[in-house]
Order: sequence, then C-alpha cells, then structure tokens
Amino acid sequence: MQLAFIRFIKIFFSSLFIQSSWSYFSKQGMGFMVNLIYGTKNKEDTIMKEHNELFNTHPYMASYIIGATIRAYDEGKTSEDIKRFITIAQTSFASAGDLLFWQTLRPALLLISVIFGLKFGIIGPVLFIISYNAFHLFHRARGITDGYNKGWDVIYLIKAKRFIMVQHVFEILGALFTGLLFILIAFKINYLLLIPLTSLFVILLLRRYSATFIIIAVLVLIVIIALV
Amino acid sequence: MNVFVLAIIAAIILLDKYAVGEFGVSQPIISGTIIGAIFGDISSGIFLGALLQLIFLGESPFGGDIEPDGQAAGIIGTGSYFLLVSSNPLEYSLFLAIVFALVGGIIGGVLNMYAHVYNEKLYRVFMEKKHLLYVCHFAGLVTAFLRGLCLLLPIFILAHIVTIPRAFPQLTKELLMIIGLSVGLSNGLYLFVKKSTILYLCGGIACSLLLFVL
Repeated sequence: MQLAFIRFIKIFFSSLFIQSSWSYFSKQGMGFMVNLIYGTKNKEDTIMKEHNELFNTHPYMASYIIGATIRAYDEGKTSEDIKRFITIAQTSFASAGDLLFWQTLRPALLLISVIFGLKFGIIGPVLFIISYNAFHLFHRARGITDGYNKGWDVIYLIKAKRFIMVQHVFEILGALFTGLLFILIAFKINYLLLIPLTSLFVILLLRRYSATFIIIAVLVLIVIIALV
Repeated sequence: MNVFVLAIIAAIILLDKYAVGEFGVSQPIISGTIIGAIFGDISSGIFLGALLQLIFLGESPFGGDIEPDGQAAGIIGTGSYFLLVSSNPLEYSLFLAIVFALVGGIIGGVLNMYAHVYNEKLYRVFMEKKHLLYVCHFAGLVTAFLRGLCLLLPIFILAHIVTIPRAFPQLTKELLMIIGLSVGLSNGLYLFVKKSTILYLCGGIACSLLLFVL
C-alpha cells in the first residue's frame, strides 16, 4: 500500500500545525484530529467521534502515528484496535522523541552553533538551522510514509538506527562541544569566576531545582555581579 | 525601528515555539541573529542570542512545572538591547536587557499557561459545535500570537522610552560572557556527561587547550 503524493503533502503540512491548539485538557487532540481528517477521505464524522479526547506525543514523532492510523482507517480496522494502537504508540514515541530531540539533538546542535556563532559569526546560526531541520523534517516526512507503509509495526522503529545511533552520536558531540566551550575563555583573572559559578549551577541542576528557580538564581547573580 | 513592527515580527518568530512547525527559528541564537539583522548589527545579535542560548540550553517546550520561556527571553533580550542602546550607554543597556530577558522569560512561561487554558476553551467550543473544528484548531495560532504580543510589546515600549540613570548597575560583555559560559557549561555537563561520554568531554577540553597554545 502506497500513500499518494498529494495526500502525503496534505498530511505533512497539517502536521506542522499539530500543536497550534495545544491545551491542558486535550493536549494535541484537536491537531491530531485535523491531521487525520486531512489524511482520510469521507471519515470526518467518524474521526471527530472517535478521537475527541487526549492525544499527546512528541510533535515530530506524531507523523509516525498519523501515518499508521490513516493506514488502519484505509484497511477498515475497528475503532477499538485503532484506539489501542494510538494509546500505546503515543507514549512510546513521546519518550523516544523527547530523548532524541529535546534532550540530545537540539541542545547538542545549539551548543555547536553557539561556539561557531561566537567564533565565526553567522556560520553558527546557519549551521543550526540547516542541520536541525534536516533531522526534524526527515522524521516529519519519513514518519508519515513509514507509518503508512509499516502500519502498526511502525512502533518497532523506535529501536531503529535513526533513533539509537543518532542519539548516541549527538551525546558524544554534546560532550565534546561542552569541553570545547573552553575555547571561548580568555586568559583574564575574571574568568576564574567560572569555577565557582559552574559548580553552583551543576549542584542546582543535580539537585533538580526547577528551571524557574535556576533562572532567578542567574538573575540574582547578574545583579550582584553588576553591583560589585 | 518602529516598536510595534518589531513586536509583531518578534511575536511571529515566537509562534515557532510550539504553534507552527518548531523549526528552531525562535531559539535565542537564531532570533538574536534575525533581530540583529533587522537593526543592522548581526554580531551583537549573535553574541546576545548565543549567551542567552547557553542559559536556556536544556529547555523543553512543555514541562511538568511552569517552565520559563527561553525563546521569549532570547527575543526580549536582543530586541530590548537594541532599543535601549540607541539612547543609553552600552553597559547599562546590556544589564537592563538581560534583566528584561530573564524576567520576561519567567512571565512568558506564565502567559504560556494562560494561552493553553484559553485553548482549552476553544476545545470546549469544538465539543459543542463539531463543525467548528478547523476554526477552533487554527484559532490556537491567534492565541499564541496574542500571547507573544502581550508579552513583547510592553517590554519593547519600556525599553524604547526608558532613560537609564547613571547610578544604575552596569554589565560588561566580559562579565555576561562569564555568566553565560558558566550556566552553559553546567547545562552541557548535566545533559551530556556520563560514563560513556566523559572521554569526549576530556577530548574537547584538550582540544580547547591545544588551540590556546597554538
């Protein structure tokens, strides 16, 4: 079974808006419904009846679930089976996507772009936009086709190289470029401040203080340093 | 640069945070570059964007707590810096811009919560009137845009009109670099350093030292 190009384009563009109406009650529920309606034919009423509830996954990974769900509708599978698949898949893809994109790939690429940006100017930001979107758009697009082609077996892709290997490579790059941040240091006495400040923030992070608390700590520190 | 036009452009960039695509355009280093280009000073935009990026490196879009909005902080920091520096000395402007950015980031997180609560109302409208699915869904874009505008416009107006008194604290680029680097380093260590990657961290440090010597 192959997904027609026009249909693919419709699903792809609607998937870019999956989080537009994100709310605490239904999360990406409305966006998911809109995506499914764009991808199916004459199923609007059925989809609105069956999927008007919570849907929450990683926004880029949603494509895999959308593709597989549309295939299930095309094959005429029962709504109970479809719902069961969605319940399992959304959690699995959410954790895989969070780990790959939010916790590894994006911070690593941002770190690289910061170093390049501060050293060589515009190259840093351009590098980030190109490389990040290469991965991002790959998963958005390939997710739809793989989801449609593999059907419910798409869930096993979480163990594929595109997740495991990429995550491992970017963990390594992240660690390497954390070390390379020292390039930005100048040989001045003020830079000795880095040692206590970095230790302080590492302790705050390890003790799992909230992000708001850490930002307030940075703010207080800036005010103190500026006053001194 | 007209403050209203800047706020509208910035609110459109901020849509990238979650409402449209999430291409990474709203990340501080990118938004800083864009705003720097608008004001004709890309290198300052990259500098401020990069340092705010280090502070907000490990941010995720939806956390359990109300997370500060790093993307908004980046836009506020660079935007208000360029507005401030046109009529104030650099060190004073830098200090106030960073304060605006960090406070704005925290307020942005709270406003984000209200935007999501408003989207919930849209969802309830959809539940009652099913034919309004598309209207209710895409109205979320308006909510996100207005959230950005409500956050950015007052801060940009304030930055545009304020004249900083001479007794105000100052922040040099060097001190900002030290703070940004220390938060960035701690974020990097927290996110990436484990038993399997510690060698690469040491390799990175060794390369840095080698580049110093060379």
